[in-house]
Amino acid sequence: MRVVKVQKLFQRTLFGVFALFGFIGVSTSILLIYTVDSYLTEEYETNSAGIAQSIADASVDILLNRDLSALQSLIDQFVEIQGISYVYITDETGEFLAHTFVPGVPDQIRNSEPATNTTVQRQLPGMGDFVEVSRPILAGVAGAVHVGMDTGIIALQVQRAIGRQVYLISIVFVVGVLAAVWLVNLAARPIGEALTYAVALARGEENEAEPVEGILARNDEAGQLARLFLHFYRHRAPSTPSTDGSA
Amino acid sequence: MMHDRRSVIRAGIAGGLTWPWLRTLAETADAGITDTEVILGMSAAFSGPSRGLGIELYRGASAYFDDVNYNGGISGRRVSLKIYDDGYQPDASVNNTMQLMLEDRVFLLFGYVGTPTVTRVLPLLKKFQDQSVFLFFPFTGAQPQREPPYGDFAFNLRASYMQETAGLVDNLVRIGRRRIAVLYQADAYGRSGWVGVRAALARHGERIAAEATYTRGTQFTATLRPQVEILQAAEPDAVICVGAYAACAAFARDAVDLGLEVPIANVSFVGSENLLALLTEGRERADSERYTRLLVNSQVVPSYEDTSIPAVREYRELMQRYNPAVPAELVTESYTPFDHSFVSLEGFLDAKLMVEILRRLGDEPARADLERAVFSLEDFDLGLSERVSFGEGRRQGLQQVFYTVVDGDRFVTLNDWDERFS
Repeated sequence: MRVVKVQKLFQRTLFGVFALFGFIGVSTSILLIYTVDSYLTEEYETNSAGIAQSIADASVDILLNRDLSALQSLIDQFVEIQGISYVYITDETGEFLAHTFVPGVPDQIRNSEPATNTTVQRQLPGMGDFVEVSRPILAGVAGAVHVGMDTGIIALQVQRAIGRQVYLISIVFVVGVLAAVWLVNLAARPIGEALTYAVALARGEENEAEPVEGILARNDEAGQLARLFLHFYRHRAPSTPSTDGSA
Repeated sequence: MMHDRRSVIRAGIAGGLTWPWLRTLAETADAGITDTEVILGMSAAFSGPSRGLGIELYRGASAYFDDVNYNGGISGRRVSLKIYDDGYQPDASVNNTMQLMLEDRVFLLFGYVGTPTVTRVLPLLKKFQDQSVFLFFPFTGAQPQREPPYGDFAFNLRASYMQETAGLVDNLVRIGRRRIAVLYQADAYGRSGWVGVRAALARHGERIAAEATYTRGTQFTATLRPQVEILQAAEPDAVICVGAYAACAAFARDAVDLGLEVPIANVSFVGSENLLALLTEGRERADSERYTRLLVNSQVVPSYEDTSIPAVREYRELMQRYNPAVPAELVTESYTPFDHSFVSLEGFLDAKLMVEILRRLGDEPARADLERAVFSLEDFDLGLSERVSFGEGRRQGLQQVFYTVVDGDRFVTLNDWDERFS
């Protein structure tokens, strides 16, 4: 006799597992994005400010005593640091004294108001999104240093962190589903056998139920249920004869 | 007896402590000099898109050194060049310099190529100033090796970019081309030229009309159309390029293609023959003329075609006699050397003056005497129309700037700006 499968119970359990992992994945990802983004943005702004201040301090002597090529050489070295996309130095009138832009200073920067001690977000067409930190040279009377950090790198770092998390959750999810299937099967199989046994008894096929009679020997709830069905079956009221004489 | 033993121990400790120092001093005094050889160190571009500059400078210097060595050397010592390739990259140049100074222990540094490289090397010379390591005749007209705080560690032969750009601006303004734009390499070299143009224009009451930059190492195959479009928007009367030959040739090509038909000036570092080769090789004559007819290049040495100049005659003779080879151990990319070029002529003149300085050191050359030997040069005849003098506060030998234009397949002296560009 074929054992009945407990599909609905199985489906609901799997759905529960999916829902749980979905919730964990989405909620931790949101938290991760927020945490990594805030942390990196703060760190980048701090680094930019530190670098801008370093260049500003080093620029005083060069601006007052030396050729601007020395200043260009100085800022060229900073652009080699990962994350720094551009550096430019303006004098007190806003004229560009040295910069690292190719093929030229973007119009958006060229046309902006000269700033000496600010942090601004910039969207430069064809270049990307940047956090630009400005620091004054000689309290601003000799100009200002501006350092642009590519926020695309922050997005990339967030993507990498999310990617690693999705990878981990996927592995845990697969293991979880396999474990859930095994556990549900473990629980559902005796219930299915009890159900099959009950159906056979209900049909008056006590002998047909023999293949699953092992259920009666079980000590768990499924065994108790099967024994209860058998008890009801054996002590059921005699069936009322039908009026047309058929059994 | 006890007293004597203590004295011996004290002397031993003192000797042990001072010996390494004495040894260092002794080694320093002899660095780069043997009984048979004086070794000079050179780091230059022998690879990459600017390799023509290092190769030609080396070939020109080698022609003169070969002749000196053939004729017995200097006080019986051969002149040897220890060369390294830096590919025109600052970090490589710094590493090569450390190698030359600390491992190879050369007598002096000679013939470095480029502003971004030399600018980064100068602090090393200051760091080791107690060892009197000097840089002689770098192939750059930038200011850092001409002024404090590093000017005392280098000697220059060529005119500066300030002088070259001033000459170009003055002549262009004189013929009515006042709106001058600048294309420059985005580094210390480009900035040095930009400063020169800006200062020269300011003296005429003008400002730079427009400016654009390109990345160091740009190849001729790259497009410089964005740069042309930026400058073209300002409708300039002329463009001054402060760059290397590959990028400047690409700019000249794209400018003509996009209809920016104004004089395009280049400073001496560009490497005129390499520039011309890129614009003309494999093209019809009409095309070549179209791309080159508006070029005007400043030079810091006279035309190698002008055989009325004794130094030019000597250069041509020795280049032909020794035909210096391309250093095969460093040059892995294809390169066809030029019979003559402005760069190799400069290398030749550098070597000629270097030999004169080494001769003035006498039979026992020492680094510490180098400055004295250089300063003893007063009105020295290098075979040019201009005499060479050095002294306190004068660490650049030549001041003259020459202007050249393309005539057929070569650069020739420009005699009449009005006739050429009006």
